[in-house]
Amino acid sequence: MRLRRSLFAALAVAPLLALSSAHATTLRVGIQDDPDALDPATSGTYIGRFVFAAMCDKLVDIGQDLSIVPQLAEKWTFADDQKSVVFTLRKGVSFQDGTPFDAAAVKFNIDRMQTMKDSRRKAELAAVASVDVLAPDQVRLNLKEPFAPLLSVLSDRAGMMVSPVAGAKEDFSANPVCVGPYKFVERKSRDLIRLQKDASYWDAARYGYDEVLYSYIPDSTVRLARVRAGDLDIAERIAPTDLKTVRDDKNLKLHSAPGLAVSHLMVKVGEPEKANSPLQKDARLRRAFELSIDRNVINRVAFNGEYTADNQMIPPSDPFYPKSHPAPARDVAAAKKLMAEVGATTVPVEITFENALTDARVAQIVQSMAKEAGFDVKLLPLETATAIQRYLAGNFEMYIGNWSGRADPDPTLYAFFACNGGQNFNKYCNKDLEGVLNAARAEGDIAKRKQLYDKATGIYLADLPTIPIYHPNWFFAARAKVDGVVVYPDGLLRLKGVKPAS
Amino acid sequence: MSAPEVAAASVGRGWLGRKTAAGRLIREPAAILGGFIIFGFVLAALLAPALAPYDPNASDWMAIRQAPSAAHWFGTDDLGRDVLSRVIYGARASLAAGFLSVGIALVIGLPFGMIAGYFGGVADIVISRLTDALLACPFLVLAIALAAFLGPSLQNAMIAIGISAMPVFVRLARGQTLAVRQEDYVSAAWSVGLSHPKILTAYILPNILPPIIVQAALTTAIAVLAEASLAFLGLGQLPPAPSWGSMLDSARQFLVEAPWMAVWPGLAIVVVVIGFNMLGDALNDALNPQD
Repeated sequence: MRLRRSLFAALAVAPLLALSSAHATTLRVGIQDDPDALDPATSGTYIGRFVFAAMCDKLVDIGQDLSIVPQLAEKWTFADDQKSVVFTLRKGVSFQDGTPFDAAAVKFNIDRMQTMKDSRRKAELAAVASVDVLAPDQVRLNLKEPFAPLLSVLSDRAGMMVSPVAGAKEDFSANPVCVGPYKFVERKSRDLIRLQKDASYWDAARYGYDEVLYSYIPDSTVRLARVRAGDLDIAERIAPTDLKTVRDDKNLKLHSAPGLAVSHLMVKVGEPEKANSPLQKDARLRRAFELSIDRNVINRVAFNGEYTADNQMIPPSDPFYPKSHPAPARDVAAAKKLMAEVGATTVPVEITFENALTDARVAQIVQSMAKEAGFDVKLLPLETATAIQRYLAGNFEMYIGNWSGRADPDPTLYAFFACNGGQNFNKYCNKDLEGVLNAARAEGDIAKRKQLYDKATGIYLADLPTIPIYHPNWFFAARAKVDGVVVYPDGLLRLKGVKPAS
Repeated sequence: MSAPEVAAASVGRGWLGRKTAAGRLIREPAAILGGFIIFGFVLAALLAPALAPYDPNASDWMAIRQAPSAAHWFGTDDLGRDVLSRVIYGARASLAAGFLSVGIALVIGLPFGMIAGYFGGVADIVISRLTDALLACPFLVLAIALAAFLGPSLQNAMIAIGISAMPVFVRLARGQTLAVRQEDYVSAAWSVGLSHPKILTAYILPNILPPIIVQAALTTAIAVLAEASLAFLGLGQLPPAPSWGSMLDSARQFLVEAPWMAVWPGLAIVVVVIGFNMLGDALNDALNPQD
């Protein structure tokens, strides 16, 4: 009797269960890397930002055209001297643990990122002198000097606000709490990260999935196979050579955006006392090397022409991209002439790179093309850790650098070309260029800033401490039944408006 | 029967014995096929410049990932290079790695194994424990670790494979020496006062060789595979020089669109490895007729 009753109960409940599981929708996303610590203050990877995009709102966000748009801050006003900015915060917003989000929380976060021992945001926020809480929804950032890229900095991890309650704890990254549409549920290292919709999020109505599940699948071919099999809903970073497969599959949709990243041939130019490579000594040889390679062929052969061949560190999609410096066409005769001017016939060059298929392919194409002008190119593929170590130590003649890029030109140009820039491992130093970059930093007027970057571009392209080759573009494959996927130039998956197709 | 005749007869029997082994070998179909395969690849490696229709490193930017055709029998790869030419030149890397790394393993492993087995005592303990330590690491893992440590190049890959393959030879040589040193002719040589090096080279070595030869043939197959594995991981032949393993690595991305990029080097590896295995098995049967 009792058995019968429980059986009956089970039968009655079963359809309900089925109904509720049909309603709980999960977005399954395949990601290429396993993120590092899930703490905006210490995170240092693209894939970490990728996950944060669903979990942590920022003071401001970027739009598809790289303009700055409101997010947690509804508006902002710069002081006339450009040395402070007042943010008006969105009202009625709370963190995923229920703590209210207010000006004091902003101050807590900026302080935390500036003082925390392992914080990677210190350099980004170096311009911020202090934070004043003016009202619960008014906060002022005081700057040491005018710093035009500030909003761009705050549109990334430095602008992500974590709950002061959770942020005060040591193990924040094991249980991250932000303001964001999806809250952290669990993480299995090198396997998955599960997020769940936060119903109290201020804009919750525009998020169509109840749960997001990120699965770590390093191989892009495997990610594609799994999204084709319906095992994933979205796969990030599909290889350009696989795009035809995605386009031909009517169950899939290809989503793409021009990227901010750049792949460039960095030449060791500084430290002449250690110099023994001809390219290091003479900019004419670097120019000759540039003329000997055909960027369009590299793009076509290695990337099916899906990337953007270009000669600048800033991508053409950037509003600050100067159009006055087009990429020179391949000209072997001109390259040989330059080499003859220097008095060289064969010039040895060694290219160091991380041993990955993409870079290996580019290196071999460069090797083969530069040979025609008389460059004797040797390739040195190294295992990732060793390659990065050499890069950081400046121990290379030429290095294939892959820089993720930023929404603002300053972080890229300053890092690579300022004499003490954070990525200036080829020890390039030109005081004129540094002066122009500093002026651009302090310039609040967009048109004037643009002119300064035009000038800066002219200088570095003449010195050629690095030879940019291409900008990768973003390609995500999604099931056709996932609606509203929009890829931004920063390559992050913003889930606003993403929902199951009806 | 005079003394010289006895000597002649015994030499004759010795020759005859070897002849019988050789005779058994050539009657073994596996040996003929295996030998034929290996001879073919050795020939291809030696005559590569004459046989290959194209320069293996020359790219044709207008002919990327083209299917096999009259112009390119095996198709072209992701950089527009002729796959047939690269497979032929790739035989050089594979066979060199196979033979030279086994050579390295033999040159180091054989003497140490014989010393351990012949002298015993401290020498045996030290050599055997070191060998055990090396054997504790799986072969390929050890090879990868060594190759990564030494840096990528064909030469370093061969050294890494040679060192990884060495412990097996130490073990085998030691075991065989232990068995042979009990034999009466070794005691006899000892008692007439021959030096240790003389006994080791003239009395022990020839008698322990048959299993070592078999092992060497089988290890060559493993070494060829290991070279391909290391090259696949980017720890072998430096680009752009062709190696079957690195060809497979770059073909990996195009398994669906350009299967010929993977099929030919893959087939080459399979055939060569089968060749060495068949030869090794046949040698084993020929040299150990009691089996």
